[in-house]
Amino acid sequence: MITLSHYLILAAILFAIGVVGIFLNRKNLIVLLMAIELMLLAVNLNFVAFSHYLNDLSGQLFVFFILTVAAAESSIGLAILVVLFRNLSTIDVDDLDGLKG
Amino acid sequence: MLKNFVMPDLYPAAPELFLVAMACAILLADAFAGASRRWLAPVLTMLTLIGCALITYATFDGTATLTFANMFVDDPLSDFLKLLLYVAIIVVLVYGRDYLAARNLDKGEYYLLLLFATLGMMVMISAYNFLTMYLGLELLSLSLYAMVAIDRDSPRATEAAMKYFVLGALASGLLLYGMSMIYGATGTLELGRVAQTIHEGTTNRTILVFGLVFLVAGVAFKLGVVPFHMWIPDVYHGAPTAVTLLISSAPKLAAFAMALRLLVSGLFGLAEHWQSMLMLMAVLSIGIGNLAAIAQTNIKRMLGYSAISHMGFMLLALMSGVAGAEVDPMALINAYSSALYYIISYVLMSLGAFGMVLLLSRGGYEADNLEDFKGLNKRSPWFALMMAILMFSMAGIPFFVGFFAKFSVLLAAVAAGHVAVVVLAVIFSLIGAYYYLRVVKLMYFDDPVDAASIRAGLDMRLLISLNGLAVALFGLFPDSLMMLCTATLVRSL
Amino acid sequence: MDLKTIIFYVFAALLIFAALRVITARNPVHAALYLVLAFFNAGGLWLTLQAEFLAITLVMVYVGAVMVLFLFVIMMLDIDIKRLRQGFWRNMPLAATLGVLMVAEMALVLSTDYFGPVAFPGTKMGADYSNTRELGRLLFTDYVYPFELASIILLVAIIAAVVLTLRRRKDVKHLDPVQQVAVKHSDRLRVLQMPAEKEGE
Repeated sequence: MITLSHYLILAAILFAIGVVGIFLNRKNLIVLLMAIELMLLAVNLNFVAFSHYLNDLSGQLFVFFILTVAAAESSIGLAILVVLFRNLSTIDVDDLDGLKG
Repeated sequence: MLKNFVMPDLYPAAPELFLVAMACAILLADAFAGASRRWLAPVLTMLTLIGCALITYATFDGTATLTFANMFVDDPLSDFLKLLLYVAIIVVLVYGRDYLAARNLDKGEYYLLLLFATLGMMVMISAYNFLTMYLGLELLSLSLYAMVAIDRDSPRATEAAMKYFVLGALASGLLLYGMSMIYGATGTLELGRVAQTIHEGTTNRTILVFGLVFLVAGVAFKLGVVPFHMWIPDVYHGAPTAVTLLISSAPKLAAFAMALRLLVSGLFGLAEHWQSMLMLMAVLSIGIGNLAAIAQTNIKRMLGYSAISHMGFMLLALMSGVAGAEVDPMALINAYSSALYYIISYVLMSLGAFGMVLLLSRGGYEADNLEDFKGLNKRSPWFALMMAILMFSMAGIPFFVGFFAKFSVLLAAVAAGHVAVVVLAVIFSLIGAYYYLRVVKLMYFDDPVDAASIRAGLDMRLLISLNGLAVALFGLFPDSLMMLCTATLVRSL
Repeated sequence: MDLKTIIFYVFAALLIFAALRVITARNPVHAALYLVLAFFNAGGLWLTLQAEFLAITLVMVYVGAVMVLFLFVIMMLDIDIKRLRQGFWRNMPLAATLGVLMVAEMALVLSTDYFGPVAFPGTKMGADYSNTRELGRLLFTDYVYPFELASIILLVAIIAAVVLTLRRRKDVKHLDPVQQVAVKHSDRLRVLQMPAEKEGE
């Protein structure tokens, strides 16, 4: 029998993978953006599961809006990435050291 | 059962609707106006903000109204914060104009993004639902990411934008995870019903606190307090100064509204839990912000660290609302209105300080090092005096607005019994006074490195003088503003 | 084990595998493709939760649009993959430990009986229930305000992406088809009237 807990723990694992991915990929901003997408996917899974088990559609609607915003967010993130690459010719996080103090 | 569409009451949201309509008009006007009519976008933006202010003032009725299926709240607090927001954005427009024009950044898109960021803040201020809070926050954040990177040929600015984006997206993820947990535990997204469900005590508190941890982390990031402060110095430093001016001012009002609505309107039943989290973050912020600011040579970075410590003070007030098990409404209003007073005075001072940096900058030259303030008294005694007032006020030296802000926060914290925290905050503020006074010393006792005369439009000179004088005057007569804050919160909470 | 349980475990295992590969893949293109796999599996899980509309949207919006955008950017940038991998495994033990700790703590909280089958039995909708219709009905009545906000967010994304990346290059020998089509014979050939000239004058 699959209960709500199963889905929540699965989402927690996904969320942790996303967070770990951010720590791990200190060299590659694109994969870092993908790790953020994984975190959002985990949140969405939470909302959909709650929505099903609470029998309340507002959770699913929240997911609808998260998907919209995440698409907008990745387009801006990738635009900044492209501009950054034009300026620095790198997407290595360690090369982002112009600002210090 | 078919539910038909019932037209929601649009009247409370009139300023937002006006702003959206104007933004779309400006988008079209700017696209078709051509290069010779570049003045069109800033002038229309200014008119839009003045129009919003008039509408907000005219529709003020002193009661709380919910609309759009209880997702939007129009209460005295939201009207008050929105009016302050318009003023801050107008100041940002005036201060930033020459700087942007000199760097060829005054494109129509800049003003559009500024308006959409303003809309995002208005949505946050009026949010009464997790969903609208999130959407307002994202509208604000996405506009700000793009504005930081708007000087796209500058490696520093794009680097700052990338850092801001990655950490901001991470914070949104944390915030959303927290919201999903609270939704799961309470079964609703509406702040009022969340508060009611928690009050009834039928939910699982462990899950609520688990969600709360993530939620507070997200809010703390947006406020920029330790340990979620890493982005502040880099973004303040790397962004074009006109954008730093924006980031350091108006969004703090929106972040305050966000903290107040989520934590007080929504999760007040968990106050004992979030207050202890805020206490830790407040002490760390005041400590680390003040200590790190001493080591800075760049004034934008220094003001960034100072912003961290100021936000720490604001949290100090927010965590002093409830002491023990008894909820004393007077102490509650006292604490939250001192937080509101603090945030208003900080926005006023921050606008002035970054305005001075903009005043000294000119085409191809950024006056963002502390050195650039050397001997300002010899170049312009009046503006040196204004900067000195701002620095004294930020340091919390008596009879400027910053002093009363700190004083009322500390009083509220003492009333809630956090004496040890107050002692720590005072010690770190005294240490912090050093780096503010260093700026004053550089201006009055050193010889100028840069001898160019200060050139700025009359409107900017007037406004920056007014800004400095306001800091001094609110310091001499602190009661009226404080009473306004208290009255607003009494009628809203 | 009933069929639904088996489906859940298969999809969940694939989802976790794909997610792990996203953050450890050597090549960003592979990472993007694993992310596509992860989204497909998440969509499958959402189908078991009777969220048909969102499952389809996830696949269409994410796989169809967002991941294509990611792949497009990866291909556009000239990335030195070897350099990106330096020091990757050095951080691994710490990151893995943190991740396992985080999962353990979160699982501890989330496996409470509160979320068990008693309080949350789950709902079975009838065959005539349309998830899409119900969502649409809410979206355009109670949720009209967030819906408008989402449209403005998309507008901001368009403006931001254009202002950040649009460049008019001046060195490109670019032909405007509109001008090409609109050309008249009088533009190409100019008949001059001039007096006849004699050779040698």
